[in-house]
Amino acid sequence: MPRRIQVGRLILIAVAVCSFVGLGTAATLLYLQRPTRGLPYSDSFAEGKSDEWKAFGGTWSVYDGGMRNDSDERGAKLMTGSRYWTDYVLEADVKLLGEDGDAGLVIRASDAEEGVDSYSGYYAGLRTRDNRLTLGLADHGWQGYEDEPIPHGVQAFQWYHLKLLAYGCNVVASATFPLQGGQTTTAAVRDRDCLKAGGIGLRSYSSGGIWRNVRVRSATAADLQSMLAGQAVRDITSDQPYWNGTSIFGSGSLPSHVNAEPNLAQTVVQPIGSLRMVTSSRPVVATIRGVVSLSSPALYVQDSTGGVAVVADAGPPLKVGDEVLVTGQVKARDYSATLDHAVVQLLWTRTPVAPVSVTPEQAATGSYAAMFVEVEGTFTGATRTPQGTSVLNVVAGEQAFRAVVENSRAAVLSRALKRGSRLRFRGVCVVDPAQTHSLTPFVLLLPSAGDVEVVAGPPWWNTRHIVISGFAVLLLAFIALLIYSTVEKWRLKAVAEERELLAHEMHDTLAQSFAGLGFQLQAIRNRMPANMPHVQEQLELACDLVRHSHEEARRQIMMLRAESPETAGLAPLLESCARHMLQGGDVLVEARQEGDPRAVPLRVKDTLFRIGQEAVANAVRHARPSEIRILARCSDHTVALVIEDNGRGFEQSREGKGFGVRGMRRRAATIGGTMTIAGSPGEGTRVMVTVPLRRPGTLSIWTGVLWKRMRGRGFYEQTG
Amino acid sequence: MDLPAVAVIPRTTGISLWEPEHAGAEVAAHQHGFRVYWNAPTREDDVQGQVELVDRVIDQRYAGLVLAPDQTLALMTPVRRALSKNIPVVIVGSPLPLEPAGKLTYVLSDDTAAGHMAAERMGKILNGKGTVAILGIDPDIAGVLERVRSFEKTLAEEYPGIEVKEKRPGLFSVPYEQQSAKEVLETHPHLSAILAVTTDATRGAYSALVEARRAGAVKLVGCDQDLLTPLMTGEIDSVVAEDTYEMGYRAIEALADERAGRPVPRLIRCAPHLVTKENLERPEIRRILGLVGR
Repeated sequence: MPRRIQVGRLILIAVAVCSFVGLGTAATLLYLQRPTRGLPYSDSFAEGKSDEWKAFGGTWSVYDGGMRNDSDERGAKLMTGSRYWTDYVLEADVKLLGEDGDAGLVIRASDAEEGVDSYSGYYAGLRTRDNRLTLGLADHGWQGYEDEPIPHGVQAFQWYHLKLLAYGCNVVASATFPLQGGQTTTAAVRDRDCLKAGGIGLRSYSSGGIWRNVRVRSATAADLQSMLAGQAVRDITSDQPYWNGTSIFGSGSLPSHVNAEPNLAQTVVQPIGSLRMVTSSRPVVATIRGVVSLSSPALYVQDSTGGVAVVADAGPPLKVGDEVLVTGQVKARDYSATLDHAVVQLLWTRTPVAPVSVTPEQAATGSYAAMFVEVEGTFTGATRTPQGTSVLNVVAGEQAFRAVVENSRAAVLSRALKRGSRLRFRGVCVVDPAQTHSLTPFVLLLPSAGDVEVVAGPPWWNTRHIVISGFAVLLLAFIALLIYSTVEKWRLKAVAEERELLAHEMHDTLAQSFAGLGFQLQAIRNRMPANMPHVQEQLELACDLVRHSHEEARRQIMMLRAESPETAGLAPLLESCARHMLQGGDVLVEARQEGDPRAVPLRVKDTLFRIGQEAVANAVRHARPSEIRILARCSDHTVALVIEDNGRGFEQSREGKGFGVRGMRRRAATIGGTMTIAGSPGEGTRVMVTVPLRRPGTLSIWTGVLWKRMRGRGFYEQTG
Repeated sequence: MDLPAVAVIPRTTGISLWEPEHAGAEVAAHQHGFRVYWNAPTREDDVQGQVELVDRVIDQRYAGLVLAPDQTLALMTPVRRALSKNIPVVIVGSPLPLEPAGKLTYVLSDDTAAGHMAAERMGKILNGKGTVAILGIDPDIAGVLERVRSFEKTLAEEYPGIEVKEKRPGLFSVPYEQQSAKEVLETHPHLSAILAVTTDATRGAYSALVEARRAGAVKLVGCDQDLLTPLMTGEIDSVVAEDTYEMGYRAIEALADERAGRPVPRLIRCAPHLVTKENLERPEIRRILGLVGR
């Protein structure tokens, strides 16, 4: 019954623990998946922090309290927020950086990847092509819902306030242009089969853009009504799948971004590579035409012959990939040239230049100065300047260089990178000592954190991992030893218990029978008439035999009982045996045990006991000594038994004639031991048996040594 | 139950040349019980991006791949890899240098027909007499050279009175094409017509004509659907439009046949359509412009 109660209690405790853990997990999950967790959310990018944002294309950087995408990539996105957010309103100030394209906000976003419409979510954007506020659903494909015209059109480089709300299956977008009366344009739909939840995003198509004052808060029915302000909501039903809808990009509007009349025919344009040849001491003015490879922190332009840093006095805002015409004063330096006091004319936007893949050795020669290159190297560490610039230190073979990223997203990157990783950088190669500080032959100015790519993680075999592995191996060895030692102990205990049981059995049966047999023979002999001397004599012999056998049985019992692990060694056993043989005579018996007898295997101990018993018996029977010394010495590698007496001595020539000595030698050989008998007539006899315990160098020896070291004392503890 | 997913990767997405392919693929997928994964690089010249996308599709074991290759040679290896993993592949638009066999099917745009169609239109609007410039010849875009060849051949055979005055190379850049067209117009002040063989060349030529106030006077025959409004106003005479809708539809159909073990025609050619102001409202034209469903 108590056992049952115990089991019941255990079950109860287990159930309680499981319930507690289950409830805790459920509560945590519920908390994490709460549709309002993290709301209200706002990011003014004032501190330059943008760790929680994830970029999908584009060149995103924190710039003047806003998030800026300079790239004209179509469908570049920056996403954040909880995928469990449901009803909320997202608002931000948005400025388009180009004349051809759109920029806006995404809500209820999930499954984002690089690509134009490769995400699920609702997008509302301001589009310059047709001057409209567009609202639609992207679900790895685009379904345009509403396109509302913006009064006075959509103008690049002007701030608009965009607001995008999702409440139930209602999605409402509004755009306000603070200038020219602050009119608000609203687009609203009710999507019957709507996306239920998701995070937020900033997105641009071709134009690039800047976003600031990004705010998200939970939405209510009042918010919905307030945004609608009485405007009708169009129903979108699933029987209007988007493949039946109108593609927004087939609207037929023309790009209007081509700047007026760059009269190229009248301008003498020289190759950028030729600027380095300018040696005149007088200021030389040159005009070059090329593509912007970097716009921040400095402006770099390149053509097929080379690249140049441009210090512009004035000019339009430029993006990477813009084709420009630059006129300025050539300033030739040691390894590169700059165009100072430059006037920059934007020609048109085109595909950004592809990087030239070079080795660090090639980059270090200066041949690729001011050009957009791709270099690989091993990351060794990062530093961050107070201005927010991240500097990544890189080695590659014999060369070292630094990669500089100038916005806070680089901080996220440098934290995420692991030392020893193989990285690929795309950036402008700068050899100007003003930038390199003569610390490395060149630095790479990266357009964005996205221009660092991890080629391979750090190698596994570093010092830390090796040390951890070493400790793990040691720990495993220790555990293995512990298990081995415990199992061995159990085995010995089992053997000892078995022998104890056997001893009991022998005592209760064999020994008792011998005693009974002896008594019976004694009784017969006592009743025998005196005239039968032969019979008397035979009976006497039979009695002796029985007594002898009885004694032998008792010795065996004693030997078997002695084999518990705690028992003493061979010497005390043999001493007891000798005293018994001498039956209180005046022969002095001295026994000494050295070392831990537990280390001696039972079979060895048994055999040695037999040999010792025989030696003692020989001494008692034949040598008539006054003293018998017994010594058993156990060490790590050997066990030795010495039986010494000061009797009549031993004639070497007689060795081998008796069965006793031959038997002793045979016994010694069975356990791999050697026996020596020393002595001469009148000088006593010394019998010594030496048995090696284990062959040196085996695994068991080594583990024994290890165990000994770890325990700080002998595996076979010295007691003598 | 989750439907088997097929990946449809055009040259790029979000433009009116390729969005109809998505529409066609979705309609066919709906009929044949597929789910469509639609994505592509954001630029048509991002070959590396397309190779990576195809590799991802192979790793994720899609039931099929429909690919409009950005570059002929660079996409050969990824396509071979997909085929070696037993993923059926349909190449759309322009061919790869691989034999259409095994699980590889081609659904191609008939560029010879496109060139022929453009030449026929030119002959008609110029009454068999005049001078023409060809813009936007970008050899990296497979099929463009075939269009030009077929155009010139048809003119030579059927309209010997029309002379090709100039042929200009092209780039993936509207402003570049605009500049190029402007130079052609200045060099040949009496040019009768322009054939623009790509989307960007069509846009560029149109902008240059508007700028030079010669839109309508110099006839413009474009290629690959993009601009609609100038077609309606007559500033662009006509556009030879690829039927990417049909290509998407037929590609998914081929995958469905492959899956069902039915015989699949390994080479399908989709005829282009000449879009003019007159036929703009026809259902088949609206469909290939991505304006209505099937």
